[in-house]
Amino acid sequence: MAFFSMLGARDPGATPLPRLFARGGLALVIGAYTIYTLGPFLWLATMSVRTTGEISLDHYAWPSPFHWEQFRIAWVDSNFATYFWNSTLVVVGAVAVVTLVGAAAAHALARYRFKGNRLIYAVLFSSIIFPPQITLISLYQILVDYNLYNSLLGLTLVYISLQLPLTVYLLEGFFARIPQDLFDAAKMDGYGDIEIFRRIVLPIGMPAIATTLILNFIQLWNEFLFAVVLITDPDKRTLPIGIRAFMGDHFQDIGMIAAGVMISVVPVILAYIFFSEKLIRGMTAGAVK
Amino acid sequence: MRWGRFGCAVAAAALSIGCMGPALAQPAQINMWSNWPDEPAKKDWVSARVKEFEAANPQCAVKLSFIPKADIYTQAKSAVRTGQAPDIFYLEPDQPEFLAGGFLEPLDSYIDLAGLEDWAKPAWTSKGKVYGLPVEAYTVELYYNKDLVKKVGVDVPANFQLTQAQFTDLVKKGVAAGITPISQGVGDRPFPGGLVLYEALLRKLGPEDYGKLLDGTLSYKDPRVIEVMDWVKGLVDAGAYPKSFSTLKLGESHFYFYNTPGSLTFPDPSWFTGRAFAPPESGGMPANFPLGIMQFPAMDGGKCPECKTLAVAGSFVMYSKSKNKDCAGALLKSMATRDNGTKWMEQVSLQTGLASDPSKIKSAHADYFAELNARNKGVKYFFGTPLFHYRAKCAETYTQVMNNAFPAGLISVQDAADKMNAACFKG
Amino acid sequence: MTSTAARPDDVKSPGSVADPRRTSWPVLVVFLVPALAIYVGLTAYPAFRTIYDSFFTIEGLDATFVGLDNYRALMSDETFWVAVRNTFVWSFIAPVLDVSTGLLLALALYAGVPFARFLRVAWFTPVLLSYVVVAILWMWIYNYDWGILNEVLRAVGLGALASSWLGDPNLALGALIVTHAWKWAGFNMVVCLAAIHSLPREVLEAADLDNCGWGAKLRHVIVPMLRPTLLNLYILAFIGKMKIFDLVWIMTGGGPLWATETVSTYVYKRAFNWNTFDLGYPSAIAAVWFGVVCAAVVILNRVLASKDRLEY
Repeated sequence: MAFFSMLGARDPGATPLPRLFARGGLALVIGAYTIYTLGPFLWLATMSVRTTGEISLDHYAWPSPFHWEQFRIAWVDSNFATYFWNSTLVVVGAVAVVTLVGAAAAHALARYRFKGNRLIYAVLFSSIIFPPQITLISLYQILVDYNLYNSLLGLTLVYISLQLPLTVYLLEGFFARIPQDLFDAAKMDGYGDIEIFRRIVLPIGMPAIATTLILNFIQLWNEFLFAVVLITDPDKRTLPIGIRAFMGDHFQDIGMIAAGVMISVVPVILAYIFFSEKLIRGMTAGAVK
Repeated sequence: MRWGRFGCAVAAAALSIGCMGPALAQPAQINMWSNWPDEPAKKDWVSARVKEFEAANPQCAVKLSFIPKADIYTQAKSAVRTGQAPDIFYLEPDQPEFLAGGFLEPLDSYIDLAGLEDWAKPAWTSKGKVYGLPVEAYTVELYYNKDLVKKVGVDVPANFQLTQAQFTDLVKKGVAAGITPISQGVGDRPFPGGLVLYEALLRKLGPEDYGKLLDGTLSYKDPRVIEVMDWVKGLVDAGAYPKSFSTLKLGESHFYFYNTPGSLTFPDPSWFTGRAFAPPESGGMPANFPLGIMQFPAMDGGKCPECKTLAVAGSFVMYSKSKNKDCAGALLKSMATRDNGTKWMEQVSLQTGLASDPSKIKSAHADYFAELNARNKGVKYFFGTPLFHYRAKCAETYTQVMNNAFPAGLISVQDAADKMNAACFKG
Repeated sequence: MTSTAARPDDVKSPGSVADPRRTSWPVLVVFLVPALAIYVGLTAYPAFRTIYDSFFTIEGLDATFVGLDNYRALMSDETFWVAVRNTFVWSFIAPVLDVSTGLLLALALYAGVPFARFLRVAWFTPVLLSYVVVAILWMWIYNYDWGILNEVLRAVGLGALASSWLGDPNLALGALIVTHAWKWAGFNMVVCLAAIHSLPREVLEAADLDNCGWGAKLRHVIVPMLRPTLLNLYILAFIGKMKIFDLVWIMTGGGPLWATETVSTYVYKRAFNWNTFDLGYPSAIAAVWFGVVCAAVVILNRVLASKDRLEY
């Protein structure tokens, strides 16, 4: 789309006709891209109120009648209420802790000069690279040793460790760019180190923190591999495992999968809408520079 | 797990002191993982066995979970190493690593071996001991749509077996009429694409040489093997398989066969019924569907036209580090009876490795079962599918080449044979 | 900065305040120890275990020391090299696609297209879906018989181009890359948008006053100023792709003919799908790959970022 807008703007003296064309073209491209991103999701939404039998007959038909009961079946009969609560508990807990711990570490690494700074940074960061499929078994052993296997607390800890390197990496990069003058001034005003972190770094770093929050939340909300291996108790399952239950060995219950996905994703979208508004407003209002 | 051990200790203490009645003792809990969360008939059979057992054995409580197969394997692979696996879990004989790693308990001293069919025991036998309860067994069958086959002008002979040329003719007539001859897809399975080819190889080579091929002692360059592969390649090139072959999932290939768009034939293990006999509104086979079963075609100069692959699938095994082997063993013992085998057949419409009494079967699908039995009369069985025999790189090559690329028409006969030899042939 | 400019009088003399970039050890401990504790307990130990395991062959509960045998076998493992090639193709090319799409989308929103608030959410929805769901959706989109892609091609008279997108070894990797870009473009957009918003407004306004066209503005002002962000995104995407697993595993399982095999899917196959409890060999792959990715990130950082760190 920028290509078209470039066309429109490159020559300000151009006749209105090409500009109109460029405008139309831009709208067309933006419209097409929107269909491309939103289309599959809306398609999935229609499937969530259709039965699998209906879907198999025609994948693109409009729901008729609307099978709202699929949501009830998922929520009540298939225990999604429990899964939802478990997911919320684990993911919100993990995201809160990892953001705080990660931000503290990122701040120390970005701000202070001390021996081993870059080494610690490299060590923390490098763990982002290890394929989780391979550390899975050692991790499992550790959780068993500490009696955290098959517990939501254990899963939360694993999730914290999973997202920690990414959080440190993103935040360190941003914190390092906060002008040093701010800190010098704060010091002179008598702020302690912890206060500086709380009253300067966290508020100013909000855009970056919000970004990591969003990313961590989404990745953990959808996490599957660790959830399936570390939790076997049906009462402790999380949403992705709940959805998985509809993907049978022989028979994929597409309608129920779609309903399950809607239950898991709609709250996230609403949270994102709310959050991103705040985020953008925060960024435009209190911009650092 | 921990509570299980605790409860067990309490029960043991109560027994040894002898001052508490059994009613006061906490029943020892064992854990059991079963596959089939999506197959009601099998699920019901397992639940019923567990309920009966609990009723008859108040000292044991069973925590039964139904978990998809892939997840059971992923969980069990981590769990067995750390002593966390359930006392009883689902396994198939194509996962021999659990046995090799010493994670399974031999069942000889727990169950009555007379409750198992003799042909099913070898699937779980190692060094003279039996390690699994072979509940689910199957044969590889060629299902077909009687109406469509008639419509394209092919008569299935009285022995229900076409010749090689007749089958080629069926494929060509189907393509000409715009009907896909063979519904098959490998979107989510490592084996279906090999069914037609390997059943043909079995009938051509006979059980002995076919066994050698799967052992890696017979080359894929053997002229008989090449001849059969050439024939299958001809079918592939003629358009035998759906265009969406590579991504079509097993469930979708069912739908492709008995709903839309419909196909002439559908090669599938006889656990076909697990999905097909689900209610039509949840995607099962329509009630009036003209289902037939024919034999895979006889090969020209084939050594064993009456041969057929037989295999054991879903089984239950006991974890060697189980903390309550008495209860676990008693549960398996209570499952392995002739009555239960008969019930399995009746409810699931599928063979079983448990002893059974087919004459007593009364079910809504009795006709189907009679036809399946008729097609298995006088048959000579070969035990195990290719993936039961193949391991590691060879299995992976089978999955990529023989299951997918070759039937998808992506690779020539020579290249496919070369790749299989490189991975599987031991010279 | 206004805050410092307002208070120069407070400073008695620059030398009298301790170097603000130094701090006492207790403070560092408070900031760093929680992260390091989590790291040591739940990341370093398993990682170390993996490297240790790579020198063994493990059968059930018995481990046999085999030295470097696993590594030697790896060097002559054809499948491994195919996986490396595919992963490299994906890691180097796809991030460009992701980041540039994200940047263009962010610019469109910044430039004030109508319905920007709606579009920002619409373009972000794919990020919210899990890989499992994305994989299922796109397997349908790519379906030969009724998938929307082939339907559209047939509808516009390009039926000859209709293909089995995931079934053709020449197309499958590309098809997966497109799917992955579809999922992640929105995330890059959000980050770029945040970065653009935090650019000094005066610069952009000055560029406007100079009657600078969008193209020039993009090239001379926006992209250079966003360099650190774009670079971060590129490296992040790069690492993500070096580890790519879920999407491939569900959509193609590495097929057809290993055309979409990646290092992670191969590790997983060797660890969980090859009828063995041997963790030695997959651990060796993971260890080698760990080294490769670390080196690649360091090189990328050196090549692309040499001057950025110093500017602030």
